[in-house]
Amino acid sequence: MSEETADVVIVGAGAAAAAFAWSLAETRMKIVCLEQGGWMNPSEYPSSQEGWELRGFGDFGLSPNSRGRSEDYPVNDSESPIAISNFNAVGGSTILYAAHFPRLHPSDFRTRSLDGVGEDWPIDYTTLEPYYDENALMMGVAGLAGDPAYPPKELPLPPVPLGRLGETLGRGFNQLGWHWWPSDSAIATVEHRGRAPCINLGPCLTGCAQGAKGSTDVTYWPEAVRRGVELRTHCRVREITMDENDMADGVVYYDADGVERRQKAEIVVVACNGVGTPRLLLNSRSANFPNGVANRSGLVGRNLMFHPYAMVQGVFDEPLDGYKGPMGCCIMSHEFYETDPARDFVRGYSFEITRGMGPVSTAISGISSGNISWGPDHHRTYASQFNRITGMVVICEDLPELENRVSLDSNLTDSNGIPAPKIHYRLSENSERMLEHAVARGKEVLVAAGARETSAQAPLPFAGWHLMGTARMGVDPEQSVVNEWGRSHDVKNLFIIDGSIFVTSGAVNPTNTIQALSLYIADQMKQRLDNLFD
Amino acid sequence: MAIEEAPSELSNEEMQFLAQVLDAIIPPDEDGGSPGAGEVGLGDILQQKSPALVPVLKQGLTALSREMESRQLVDFGALSPNEKCSLLERIGGQHPDFFPGLLFPVYANYYQQPRVLKTLGLEARTPYPLGYDLESGDLDLLDPVRNRPPFYRRC
Ligand SMILES: Cc1cc2nc3c(=O)[nH]c(=O)nc-3n(C[C@H](O)[C@H](O)[C@H](O)COP(=O)(O)OP(=O)(O)OC[C@H]3O[C@@H](n4cnc5c(N)ncnc54)[C@H](O)[C@@H]3O)c2cc1C
Repeated sequence: MSEETADVVIVGAGAAAAAFAWSLAETRMKIVCLEQGGWMNPSEYPSSQEGWELRGFGDFGLSPNSRGRSEDYPVNDSESPIAISNFNAVGGSTILYAAHFPRLHPSDFRTRSLDGVGEDWPIDYTTLEPYYDENALMMGVAGLAGDPAYPPKELPLPPVPLGRLGETLGRGFNQLGWHWWPSDSAIATVEHRGRAPCINLGPCLTGCAQGAKGSTDVTYWPEAVRRGVELRTHCRVREITMDENDMADGVVYYDADGVERRQKAEIVVVACNGVGTPRLLLNSRSANFPNGVANRSGLVGRNLMFHPYAMVQGVFDEPLDGYKGPMGCCIMSHEFYETDPARDFVRGYSFEITRGMGPVSTAISGISSGNISWGPDHHRTYASQFNRITGMVVICEDLPELENRVSLDSNLTDSNGIPAPKIHYRLSENSERMLEHAVARGKEVLVAAGARETSAQAPLPFAGWHLMGTARMGVDPEQSVVNEWGRSHDVKNLFIIDGSIFVTSGAVNPTNTIQALSLYIADQMKQRLDNLFD
Repeated sequence: MAIEEAPSELSNEEMQFLAQVLDAIIPPDEDGGSPGAGEVGLGDILQQKSPALVPVLKQGLTALSREMESRQLVDFGALSPNEKCSLLERIGGQHPDFFPGLLFPVYANYYQQPRVLKTLGLEARTPYPLGYDLESGDLDLLDPVRNRPPFYRRC
C-alpha cells in the first residue's frame, strides 16, 4: 500500500468525524479517514426481517462485549454500574442512536461560575450556535420553534408526530403545569437532501431501514466522500506515532487482513468517542510521552461522564400506538433542567418520552417485570400490557470527577492484540439524589397522564451510550488536554473532536453538540491554516 | 469407548408431550381467539431454530414424566391448569433451563406467529417497508407552554 503522506488522517468515522471531514474537505486537503468498521447495508437492518425485535438482543445489541461483531473491541466495564454501549461502523454509534437531538443550554457552558461545580467551558453557547444551525441542515433536524426552555432557534423540518402517546403525556405535563415540547430529532420527517421521510417503523435503535434517521453514513459521509475524502474501512488504528519534535507523524493500523500498515500525515485527528479516544491516546506511548500521547496533564481518560439514566414507565388503560413512530423521539421536558437551590442536588435533568414496545418486547419485558403471567392468566395479563406501556428516560447531568475514568486493561485485548479500555466509574451522591428526584417526578407525570401503574429502574445499567469528558478542552494545559479549538496542548498537530473534549455533560443527549464542536474546530483550522502549529 | 451422540431431535412422543407443556404455558384463549403455544406449532419452531434447546427439552420432559409417575398421574394434557402449573414449578427447581428458562423462547416465538399477531389486531409483517401511519397530534396542547416566558438561564 502507498505510503503517501496525507494532509490529515482522521481516526474513526462516527458522528464527529463525519461532520469534521465534510467541513474540512472544502480546503481540498488530502484527507484520509480510517475506520475499524465497514459500511452498513440498510436493507439488512432488522426492521425489514423476520425476528426483527430479537435482533436488538443479538447482532444489533448495545454492548460490544455481547454483540460479537468482528469490528467491535471489548470494553472491561465490570467495575461500572453502567455498561458501555456503542457501535463500530461508518456512522459509528449513530447507527444505533435514537436521534434525539437537543442542544446544550447556555448555562451548561458555565457551571463553575453559576453553580460552583464542574468547570466553565472555554467557549459558550453563542460560539456554537451557528454550527448547531449548520448541523441541523446537514443532519436534517425536525422540531418546533418557540420552546421557552431555549434561546430562539429555527429547525429545518417539521416535528416528529406526537401520536396518541405524545398527546396523552403532553396532557399529563399540562396538568402539572410543567414544561414539555416536541423533541428536536435528527429524523427526516419529510424528504430531505435525498433522504426518504420517516414512515414510523418504530425500532430506530437497530438501524433505520428507511434511511430517514440521521446516522452519519447517510448524512455527512456520502457528501464528504463526494468532496474527496478517502474513507478507508476495516482499518483499526493501534497508535499515533511521533517524531523527535513532539509532532505526530501518522498512525499505525491493521487493515482488513490484519496486516500492519502505516499512514503518515501532517495532522492527526482523533474521533473514536469518549472511550475509544482515550484508549488510543493511552496506547500511543513513546519516549517523550511515556503515559500516552497528549497526556502531560495526566487527564487523558479522566473525568469520564455518562449521563446516569433512569427509566420510568406507566401502564395505561387505553391503547397508545407506542410501537409506531421513532422510538426515542416524541416529546421531552426540561422542567427540572436548571439548578434550583431548594433541591438537594445541583444542576438538573431532562425527561425524554419514549414510545412503546412491539409484541415480542412486551412479552419478554413482562417476564422480568413479573407483570405478564404464564398459564391460565397469560392472555389477560398480556392484553393489559401490550400497547399500553409507555414512559420516559431521565437524563441526568453527570459532573466531572477525576476518579471516573478510562484506563487500559492489563489483560484484555481486541482481535488485533491492542489493549482494551477499562472503565472505572461510580455514581456520585449528587447523581443518586437527582435520580431519586427524577423518578418521583416521572411517576407523578405518568399518573397525571392517566397511568394506572408505574415502575422505574435507576440507574439504567445498559445506558452507557453518552461518552464524554475524557480529554477535555480548556485554556490551562495543566487542567485540560486540548485547547479551546480542539488542538492538543502537548502536540501541536494533534486534534481531538469527539465527546471526549466536553468539559461538562449538560443533561441532554450530546451528539448535536459533538458535531457542532467538530464543525467549529474544522472552521478554526480553516481560519488558521497559515499558523496552525504555532 | 464409543461416545453416544445426544439425539438432535425430539421423538414424536416427546413432541406431543412438549405441545401439551407449551399449551400449559400459553393456553388457548377461547374468548379472544388466541391459539395455545403448542397448538400454534411452537414445538417444531423451537426445535428448528434452537437446536441447542433440544437436550434441555429432553431432560425437562423426562423429569416431568418422572414427577407425574411419582404422583401417579398419566395424561399431562388432561390435568387441571393448577396441577399443570404446580408440576412445572416443581420441575423448575431442578431444571431451571427447562422451566422457567423456556418462557423466553416461547414468548419470543409465539408473538411472532401470524395467527397470534392477528388476534392482537396487528398485521403479520415486518415494519419495513410499509411503515405505519401516526397522527401528528394536536400541537395546540402546547399553548400553556408557549405562553410561558423563557426560563433558560441567561449567561
Ligand atoms: C443505543 C444508542 C442510542 C443513542 N441515542 C442517542 C440519541 O438519541 N441522541 C444523541 O445525541 N446521542 C445518542 N447516542 C450517542 C451517540 O451515538 C454518540 O454520542 C455519537 O455517535 C458519538 O459520536 P463520536 O463520533 O464521538 O463516536 P462514534 O459515533 O461512537 O464513532 C466512533 C468511531 O470510531 C471508530 N473507532 C474507534 N476506535 C478506533 C480505532 N482504534 N481505529 C479505527 N476506528 C476506530 C469506531 O468504530 C466508531 O465508528 C446513542 C448511542 C447509542 C449506542
